[in-house]
Amino acid sequence: MDILIGLQTANEVILVTSRAISRGVSVLKHDDNKVVKLNSYTAMAYSGEPGDVSNFAEYIQANVALYGLRHGIEMTPNSVAAFTRSELARSLRTRKPYQVNLLIGGFHPREAKPMLAWVDYLGSKVDLPYAAHGYAAYYITATLDRYWKKGLTLEQGLKLAAQCVSELQTRMPIDFKGCDVHIVGKSGIQSADLPPIVVAPGVANKPSEATLASA
Amino acid sequence: MSRRYDSRTTIFSPEGRLYQVEYALEAISHAGTALGILAKDGIVLAAEKKVTSKLLEQDISAEKMYALSKHVVCAVAGIDSDASRLVQRARNMAQNHLATYDEEIPCDILVKQLCDTMQGYTQYGGLRPFGVSFIYAGWDPVQGYQLYQSNPSGNYSGWLATSVGANNAAAQTLLKQEFKEELELEDAVQLALKVLSKTMDSATLTSTKIELATVGSGADGEVKYNVWKPADIEVALKKHKEAEEAQKK
Amino acid sequence: MDAIVSKYTRPVAGPLEGLRSGGERKSAFDFELPSIDRPAAFLRAHTDDATNPDARIKIQHGTTTLSFKFQGGIVVAVDSRATAGNWVASQSVKKVLEINPYLLGTMAGGAADCQYWERWLGSQCRLHELRNKERITVSAASKILANVMYHYKGAGLSMGTMICGYSKQDKPEIFYVDSDGSRVPGHLFCVGSGQTFAYGVLDQGYRWDLSVDEALALGKRAILAATHRDAYSGGSVNLYHIKSEGWVYHGNYDVGTEIWKVKEEEGSFNDIRT
Repeated sequence: MDILIGLQTANEVILVTSRAISRGVSVLKHDDNKVVKLNSYTAMAYSGEPGDVSNFAEYIQANVALYGLRHGIEMTPNSVAAFTRSELARSLRTRKPYQVNLLIGGFHPREAKPMLAWVDYLGSKVDLPYAAHGYAAYYITATLDRYWKKGLTLEQGLKLAAQCVSELQTRMPIDFKGCDVHIVGKSGIQSADLPPIVVAPGVANKPSEATLASA
Repeated sequence: MSRRYDSRTTIFSPEGRLYQVEYALEAISHAGTALGILAKDGIVLAAEKKVTSKLLEQDISAEKMYALSKHVVCAVAGIDSDASRLVQRARNMAQNHLATYDEEIPCDILVKQLCDTMQGYTQYGGLRPFGVSFIYAGWDPVQGYQLYQSNPSGNYSGWLATSVGANNAAAQTLLKQEFKEELELEDAVQLALKVLSKTMDSATLTSTKIELATVGSGADGEVKYNVWKPADIEVALKKHKEAEEAQKK
Repeated sequence: MDAIVSKYTRPVAGPLEGLRSGGERKSAFDFELPSIDRPAAFLRAHTDDATNPDARIKIQHGTTTLSFKFQGGIVVAVDSRATAGNWVASQSVKKVLEINPYLLGTMAGGAADCQYWERWLGSQCRLHELRNKERITVSAASKILANVMYHYKGAGLSMGTMICGYSKQDKPEIFYVDSDGSRVPGHLFCVGSGQTFAYGVLDQGYRWDLSVDEALALGKRAILAATHRDAYSGGSVNLYHIKSEGWVYHGNYDVGTEIWKVKEEEGSFNDIRT
């Protein structure tokens, strides 16, 4: 199961995605990028049914570009998310619906505000301060519930993202080959590096026999 | 000769004309005047209601002003029943956009979409063009206040002040003389009344003979449209009459 | 008369006595099973509403429990919700079983299985004390339980427990024991449907040198996190601290009030907008 995490900071949105593509018993790719740029200020992270994901991402990318061309103005991140949701809701009522889950991260240039939308293949859309898809959500939503605060700096946000990845690397029984990071902010979409990932303190700080004896 | 071409909207005449479209335009030039003026802080639309009989119930008969979305109003000149269909269509377009994009439809996109349908009626077989010209007053957060006009051919254009319907040439001349860029909405309303008073047949304006609509920011700072009630029109008319009196002296 | 008395009298069963075939029920190993080939499959067909929503018997499942060692001993924290399918059967279940004044067992999985076997374990531990004139070690107690679990492997028991206490050498001990027959020693465990959420908080906030108050707060906080996100966990938190002198109960905290307190104090739980 692929990992998608998104979290807002005061002035940007951070999208974290796993690098592995696994098929059957093998890892096909170690450096996959699961984020597409939809326009200057909107990025979309995706996971789900193989084939559906890339096809749907391209479809949305093309339609968002078409809107820009037709109307001479880029869609706002909020309208991109709403449009994408409506496409999934429409697809759900067809014979072969797209099985794709998404996180849409954007920055609203006019209002200078970041936004993050959680969208699933059933056509649900929720605007959230932080969000995750798949099994990752089970491991890190509690971490984010605990440590996410309003008005995080970018540095604090990246540190929190690294904390989440550390939790996943420590507790999830599959190797997802590390994570890519994309930041959407006032200067558009950039990729970035996470601070070093460490083993979660709960496992790293296992007491030695000597310490136990002295306890 | 021209009959061969007249009967079909889809076919050009040898001179390169689409007669049906031109006839539609002709139909509109007999309709009550409608005009729009773009002010600094809003837009005013004004229209003449042709009172065909004094037995006609004014309050429930066809109007000239229609709200198309939260931020767009239009004034109609032409065949009311055609207009009604198009207004219906435009309102659907606006709601579709809102449902799909979670945002109000930008004014220019609504006008463009509606004009695309109107154009279709000048080209596809078995159809006749709509006998309606519209003046649109709208606002969106990117482009602010906008004033557009469209005609049966599906052409549309943006204006600072414009008019359609009977006597529109006279109205246009007046507007050209009197329009100023720094006009406030309140002054624009007065200008609209002034132009209407000169182009309409009747000697005195009353709230039964005209309609007014404005788009502007309300007390809470949010942009809203307002289709004026007769009582409010009377207040504006009173001011207009006072100004006229003053000028006479 | 004697014949009648002897007919209805059974010798008292010793610990793990038996493994003998036939005759009356002698011990833990002589529990009656359904007389079919694969009892677990049979049980699943009639009780698992995930695979068969029409299953009439809904076993109580779903829990969050945790325990960890730290400088000051062991903290044990659990939630109190019992669910049967979608039905919240109780919000006030005691999921820490006080096996004896020195041993605690946690309860996750089938409520009845946990309750029955841990109570049984308590009696075995007491018998051990009477026979050997010393307390049973955590290791031995957990092994007894694991052995029975292994014996009934495949019979459809459902249990995930942590047996916590102090060893003879006065070291804190935690053993994870489940109905597969696993027995795993460790220093930090979260068990139940809400385990991942509890890990998410516990892992990140854990230090060996936590003070007793900090450790109790962390345990409580991790359960709270799980009750917030796992629909099958909830109710209240029960908190225990184990020292070498035995366990101490640290109270019951309703998560409905606790969450607002924590949100206010930490500035956390920002998914709840006020």
